[in-house]
Amino acid sequence: MGDHDCAGDSWSQNIDTKEYAMPKKRLRAAAAIAASVVALAGCSNGGGSTSTNTEVPTDKPITLTVWSWDGTVKEAVAGFEKLHPNITVNVVNAGSSTDEYTALDNAIQAGSGVPDIAMFEYFSLPLFAIPGKLTDLSEFGAKDLASDYVEAAWGNVTIDGKPYGLPSDYGPAAMFYNQSVLAQAGVTAPPATWDEFYQAAKKVRALGGDHYITNDSADIFVLMSLMWEGGGRPFKVDGTNVTIDFKDPGSSRAVAFWQKLLDEDLVNTKITNWSDDWNRGLNEGTLATQLIGGWFTSTLPERAPNAAGNFRVAPLPQWEAGQTSGAENGGSAMAIPAAAQNKAAAYAFLKYFTHGDGLQSRIDAGAFVPNLSNLNNEKFLSTTNPFFGDQKYNQVLADASKNVATGWQYPPFFGWARTSYEDVSAPLYDSRQGTLAEVLETWKQRSIAYGNEQGFSVR
Amino acid sequence: MSRQLLTQDTSVSDVVADHQTLRKPKRRNIGLAFIAPFSVLFLFVFIVPIGYSAYISLFQNKLIGGKVFIWFDNYIKLFQDSQFYDGVIRVVLFTAIQVPIMLFSAIALALAIDSLRLHGSRFFRIIVFLPYAIPAIVSTLMWGFMLGIRYGLIGSLNKAAGTDFNPFAPETTMVSIGVMVTWGFTGYNMLIFYAALRAVPRELYEAAAIDGASEFQIVRHIKLPALRSSLIVTIIFSIIGTFQLFNEPNILTTLVSNSGITSYYTPNMYAYSLAFTGSQQGYAAALALVMAVFTIAIAYAVQIKGMKNAFNK
Repeated sequence: MGDHDCAGDSWSQNIDTKEYAMPKKRLRAAAAIAASVVALAGCSNGGGSTSTNTEVPTDKPITLTVWSWDGTVKEAVAGFEKLHPNITVNVVNAGSSTDEYTALDNAIQAGSGVPDIAMFEYFSLPLFAIPGKLTDLSEFGAKDLASDYVEAAWGNVTIDGKPYGLPSDYGPAAMFYNQSVLAQAGVTAPPATWDEFYQAAKKVRALGGDHYITNDSADIFVLMSLMWEGGGRPFKVDGTNVTIDFKDPGSSRAVAFWQKLLDEDLVNTKITNWSDDWNRGLNEGTLATQLIGGWFTSTLPERAPNAAGNFRVAPLPQWEAGQTSGAENGGSAMAIPAAAQNKAAAYAFLKYFTHGDGLQSRIDAGAFVPNLSNLNNEKFLSTTNPFFGDQKYNQVLADASKNVATGWQYPPFFGWARTSYEDVSAPLYDSRQGTLAEVLETWKQRSIAYGNEQGFSVR
Repeated sequence: MSRQLLTQDTSVSDVVADHQTLRKPKRRNIGLAFIAPFSVLFLFVFIVPIGYSAYISLFQNKLIGGKVFIWFDNYIKLFQDSQFYDGVIRVVLFTAIQVPIMLFSAIALALAIDSLRLHGSRFFRIIVFLPYAIPAIVSTLMWGFMLGIRYGLIGSLNKAAGTDFNPFAPETTMVSIGVMVTWGFTGYNMLIFYAALRAVPRELYEAAAIDGASEFQIVRHIKLPALRSSLIVTIIFSIIGTFQLFNEPNILTTLVSNSGITSYYTPNMYAYSLAFTGSQQGYAAALALVMAVFTIAIAYAVQIKGMKNAFNK
């Protein structure tokens, strides 16, 4: 510790300046330089021996291993290696989601093969952060970046006030709608409120056959985005204390509304997302809308080529007319495991591809990021695609991102809970046994049992 | 013939005895050296994994608090776990129904081919065996598309007949999986039976024919008794196979919705989801070991029963 001089900081100042050297970014450039000055000042204190060395070594060769199933990360590697000739970056796909978490957990337990940076869905970050398996990025000055992101995205990586990762992609919940199918049903404007959505659902159903406004096969993320948008906060996490309650007004309203749609057969419960049936439904227009994350823009065109030109993107319908609230459906962060070997270099790359000069190359490759610099970027906002009828869909998604309501928390064991939800909701979706509220109560009880068994204190 | 063998045996053992009295210690070492490669492999490939599973089954890996030694708590919990019983009962029922159907069909097909009255029996044999060569993943996808009600074959039949039959409703999914498994493994079992039938000396049939036995009598008194030992083998293989049901239901969950397949649908699926989504590796190991003991016990019981009947005959 402290065996390197402060020379390393001069480049970080360069990066920070370059990063904001675009027009309209003067103000923040000034802020960034100010931040670097703070960092330099901090360095002059002589870097305490208890904290990690935050300076990037320039003299010894370093190899960084990055675990990511986000294919855009590798786009940023060449630029970074050019800036840091002594650092080699290996981006590895160690599996998606649960596969990666299992591999990471095994590596951490084994004490070897731990990557320097790993990817986490937002809901899985607490699973690793709370037991102390991730590096608190405060020591690298990550807190200064908070205001550069959509507030809710920063909230996702902040646990007990400490940033444990940097947001790397974002999924604002949005409504993708098939304009021509809605028009056929007599719905001329996309439903702006949930009441309108319900009315539209009835009209679409009246088209007969397999026409439904949307499908839902026990997708907890759809239900949660309705809760989230309406102010429901069913999970409260404070350290290892977790509270689960689906009875708060925002959550119960979402549950009651969705129950109504299920009861009146307005949602196709026979089609599961990502299945062949789903593709066909989207393709032939029997599924009129999708309540899903903004990342759907990247996969919808290849799933529904026959519906080219018919789909548009709209904000999630609101609970009250005129409101502009939003929710998330998906998104992920990148974090540095506590057992990583080269933390300073890892943070330098982490910041480079999620915040710095490497970000643009990822955006060009299709990443949707919650960085305000991008969400306010005219070029990005004016992107069009004939598949979406030349709509400026990024504008809609950027607004949806900024409108995401804050304060949502996931329980640390959400990865498990998600599978459990599929089990407990099966009788309701398979054969209409019970109600959504009863399903959530059973789910809550199982989660409490599991959570307590795993060493949390769950109520 | 047996007399010859007997005399040979004695002479060999005499020689061995002579040598043993002369150079006992060295011979023993050579013997150890000969079995060493096998022993090492056996130890690492069979004993160590089972031992390690038994070891981790005594621990709980908590998300908060790490690894805790909990004696036999995992086993106690397992025997009170309704999800575990749900899966076990399902595979036991499945085995009890699917295995007899599959083996009966396999015997019937083997007898048909062996009857020598079939045209193109070689072609037929390959066609029936072919599904076994198709990976379970591919065949599940294929059957999934075929039995799917929305766009599959059944969907078209439903449309044509105006019916509402769903092969992947919670009540029928297991039947559909049974169809897939039967389709995949009938040919394999048929081949085992066919090989056993081919081993019956043709003279026996000629003798029976000369004695005036009908074709049915030949089947009943010569061919079926000849299948007894291979029947025991196929029953054991089938029980082991169906108790480990995993691929088919696991793939179906992503293919069709509302099929009633839960994360604990079969004991194997339950072990998988415990280990990989619940990070309850110790509990999963306990489950795996209990299922292994259960499977071995049933396979052993079948073997004992089969052998006893064979000797009684």
